[in-house]
Amino acid sequence: MLWLAGIHKRFGGAIALDGADLLVASGTVHGVLGENGAGKTTLMKVLYGLVRPDSGSMKLGGAELTPQSPRDATRLGIGMVHQHFTLVPTLSVRANCVLAAGTGLGRIDEAAWDQRIAALGERLHWHLNPEAIVGGLAVGQRQRVEIAKALLAAGIDADGSLAGRVLILDEPTAVLTPPEVEELLPALRRLAEAGTTILLVSHKLPEVLRVCDALTVFRRGRTVHAGPAADLDAERLALLMVGDEPRATITAGTARPDDDAPLRLDVAALSVPGSLHDLSFSVRAGEAVGIAGVDGNGQRELVRAILGLQPDASGRIDTPGLPAAQRLRGSGRIGVIPDDRQREALVLELPLSDNLALGDHRDPPLARHGWLFASAWRRHALALVERFGVRTPGVAVPAAALSGGNQQRAVAARALHRDPGLVVAVNPTRGLDIAASADVMARLAAARDRGGGVLLVHHDLDELLAVADRVLVLYGGRLIDSGWPACGRAAIGRLMLGLPPHA
Amino acid sequence: MNTWLPVLLTAQALVAATPLVLAGLGELVAERTGVLNIGIEGLVLAGCLAGFATAAATGNPWLALLAAVAVGALLALGFGLLTIYARCDQIVAGLALNLVVFGATGTAWTLMQDHGLTTMAEGVGFTRGWCAGWGRDLPLIGPLVFNQYGLTVVVAGLAVMTAWILARTRLGLVLRALGDEPDACAAAGIPVRRWRLLAVVGAGAAAGAAGAFLATMRTNSFVPMMSGGLGFIVLALVMFGRWRVGWMVAGCLLFGLVDALQQHLQAQAGANRIPFQLWQVMPYATALVVLGLVRRGTAGPLMLTKPWG
Amino acid sequence: MPDPRQLLSAWPALAAALAAVALLLLGLWVAGGAPGEAAAAAWQGAFGSWRRLAITATEAVPLALCGLGAALAFRSGTLNIGLEGQCLAGMVAAIAVLVPLPPGPWACLAGLAAGALAGAAWCGVAVALERGRGVPLVLSTILLNTIAALLLGALVQGPLQAAGSAAPETAIVPEASRLAILATPLHLGALIAVLIAVASWLVQTRTVLGFELTVAGLNPETARFAGIPVAQRMLTAALGSGALAGLAGAIQVAGVTWFVSDGARSWGYAGIAVALLARLHPLGVLGAALFFAALEVGARTLERRMAVPHDVGVMVQGVAVAAVLLAGALSARRRR
Repeated sequence: MLWLAGIHKRFGGAIALDGADLLVASGTVHGVLGENGAGKTTLMKVLYGLVRPDSGSMKLGGAELTPQSPRDATRLGIGMVHQHFTLVPTLSVRANCVLAAGTGLGRIDEAAWDQRIAALGERLHWHLNPEAIVGGLAVGQRQRVEIAKALLAAGIDADGSLAGRVLILDEPTAVLTPPEVEELLPALRRLAEAGTTILLVSHKLPEVLRVCDALTVFRRGRTVHAGPAADLDAERLALLMVGDEPRATITAGTARPDDDAPLRLDVAALSVPGSLHDLSFSVRAGEAVGIAGVDGNGQRELVRAILGLQPDASGRIDTPGLPAAQRLRGSGRIGVIPDDRQREALVLELPLSDNLALGDHRDPPLARHGWLFASAWRRHALALVERFGVRTPGVAVPAAALSGGNQQRAVAARALHRDPGLVVAVNPTRGLDIAASADVMARLAAARDRGGGVLLVHHDLDELLAVADRVLVLYGGRLIDSGWPACGRAAIGRLMLGLPPHA
Repeated sequence: MNTWLPVLLTAQALVAATPLVLAGLGELVAERTGVLNIGIEGLVLAGCLAGFATAAATGNPWLALLAAVAVGALLALGFGLLTIYARCDQIVAGLALNLVVFGATGTAWTLMQDHGLTTMAEGVGFTRGWCAGWGRDLPLIGPLVFNQYGLTVVVAGLAVMTAWILARTRLGLVLRALGDEPDACAAAGIPVRRWRLLAVVGAGAAAGAAGAFLATMRTNSFVPMMSGGLGFIVLALVMFGRWRVGWMVAGCLLFGLVDALQQHLQAQAGANRIPFQLWQVMPYATALVVLGLVRRGTAGPLMLTKPWG
Repeated sequence: MPDPRQLLSAWPALAAALAAVALLLLGLWVAGGAPGEAAAAAWQGAFGSWRRLAITATEAVPLALCGLGAALAFRSGTLNIGLEGQCLAGMVAAIAVLVPLPPGPWACLAGLAAGALAGAAWCGVAVALERGRGVPLVLSTILLNTIAALLLGALVQGPLQAAGSAAPETAIVPEASRLAILATPLHLGALIAVLIAVASWLVQTRTVLGFELTVAGLNPETARFAGIPVAQRMLTAALGSGALAGLAGAIQVAGVTWFVSDGARSWGYAGIAVALLARLHPLGVLGAALFFAALEVGARTLERRMAVPHDVGVMVQGVAVAAVLLAGALSARRRR
């Protein structure tokens, strides 16, 4: 029995947890739900010793629980698998396990560790090669390593029993393909049968309903619902999570554009050594083309090649009416929402107004003959903030001061405000909550509806399918037309793993 | 056979390589944990002065070594606190460290001269030949092993030990992981900043010791700026060795060999028509060329120079 | 790299400079000296009269130019630590042009241009090694500093040595080819430095080029996605900083020393410290260069009058840089 009662935590002025409760039976899979900012991750961090609660009490197996650090929590049999993996990519599977679960600093008994890893793999019906370098593994494999190391750290009894252990998984399926999810969920059930208590933090309701025995829903730092999973359906859960707040809805493309609509992007025989092989596709005006696929299958190179940032790309990339040198410069430029807003889209140290000007900064009215006009920058920024609903204390504050959602709104504003002929967006909702995600996706749909061509490269299949008129799957650097919407979602999922679309 | 030129040059190269390897091991480990300290030049110089002053004052080379280690560690501690805890830029902090040490050693040296502390007694410094007797006269291994400085042998042992620790122990894993993915260490309950600081202080101690060796070996006096870019060379050699102990040591030996060769050529009759600087430039030019020849794109520790937390 | 926007406030730099001086005086007091007397002597030495002021300003010229070069490079994320070597290259090129050319202002101009070109070229070697072979600029520029110093030594004993001289020195620049003296020993180079600082400031804050350099320095990936040719901008900054360092050396030859000899200098190293103390602000560089020069000149006075080694000046410079770093880091932490 794991029992958390009345947990309070505030960060500065913001209340993260406002008397949250959680009661979990041993050896069950327990779903922890809530929107971003509902406090579920903070609560898990409290349980794992990463965050000290201001007040409240915790008990595990009847004993008082006060983990002071993750190390402490691990000793008590609590393991956590973070959303962002904490694996060292340059080290082997074994080394990562030793790093996380080993004690002392002395010589490593490799044979003993291999045996422990193999024993755990057997119990979970997984195979893990201890010699494999983590950086070379697929995401699903990495997650197994992450889970294995958390369990090894939490300790396994001599008879292989995992009774009394607690494993926290924070959004484990967010990075997985559908088939990988299909392999993870049964493994979680097997773990629960072995006695482990599993806390599954997720916002993917169908999965949660399938695998969990019981659920707890959080909203604004409080527990709003707790009970068996069997009593709930997705509709009711969604309502519990968001409360009465209205939410934006996205309309998928209703009418496919004519075949004679002007081409906005025409790619033929595009190759990049080692990552892309002979890609051909096109995007027409008024059309949203989705590129589905697991991250790391060539998305980065594809986008860079289109933007002219991949020098070793070969083949033909044509943006009709837009010379290659002006894809990222000038008034006709491609509207880009890069994958990583902090690394590729913003300069966090610079004011919001500078960030909103990027890309337009050399053109009138912001600049003339190489000279900048500060007042025009301010007006430009204020106009974009207003039009795209960026919540900010002002346009002179550094971009770092904005929340993730508002940073992304700013990036979208910069990409879309000129109604560009072509938009390239990569994972545009990464790390955003439901409201902000819906907002950004709706803006993309609107850009399409106003006659722009949209290329949407997205790892979240559901969001992708909500907007895309056509879906291509990128796997191993090759592009496959899924035939969407004629094909099913499941077929796309299989293509994303390199399997034939039908079993 | 013991006076055969290649043997003489190799024996000399071992001497030249000793301080390089010593400082290099420390810097390699520190860089593996993600901290680049270009102030290592200053640390070596501080070690030179501390070592010389202690040797001159006490007449004991071991105390000199100890003092240099302490000074190097202390200065590195300051650097580490600035970069690891206050998150200052590592390159810039290293430059500041160099400036402080250049100024401080110059000041201290002037003061020491005023007080007549300018030379140490004959025979105070470390001497060659750690193994007494017949061993030194053996062919090949005599000059290459037995008639070397004791410290050279110790440093060779340290190199083997460091390589073993990095490859085979959990300590090594921790050190490597700190530079590649410190978040993984933090998740495993390993205090990232404390370990990085420890590595940086250790590197400072090693650099200080290298300085003491310089000051008490070839000369028995101190010369301002006598480290002469040794610390900078060490930085280049660590990169040349791709952050691996074996390759780094090989680079140090190569550098030592070129250095021994240029000294030998410089001493040849007729060579004095060429300005001595052209000889001296050889090891540096070699370092630059060799760096350019290393397979490009060999990335170091993934988080090198990135502060954590 | 330090955030260029932090420059808007100058207080951390001022506080750091004062703290460093205070620390020195404290040390002097602990050592049994008379800090008040020393401070007065150093002040007298650096600013005590028009002539002392001119000496200090003259000393500040190469520091300011190297500092402007360092600020330009660092702002765009180019770790050019090789200003020292580039400065020496500038000196060599300047003397090689100034001595043989027919004396006159054109020769002077040619000398300065040659110095700037040589500085840029010496930096270009490092850039080429980075672009072509992946050698980090930090390492190559450091090695090139030592190589430049040794080559300079070889040249002033070889091809550039004055005819009939035994000392490692070049011939003297003809009087007509020297920079005009404004107020002994202050020369026209001071005006050049001030003009370049102002121009540098205008470019940084008012032009597309300056904005693109800043963006490229703070976040090169974002810059690429915004259509900024990052490699080209960084090349501009690197060569520009090398040219400024080379110009510093050339101006020193044409305005102060009038010949080149073997021996240590450190305007390039100190220039980096100057830029950091000024937090990369071009106008701040002028102030920081004056501060460093005053330390240098004041320390020399101290050495003459009170037997305090003049190297304490360098030490204070280092402490000031460390202090301004710390101040910057602390204010960044407070803002987060």
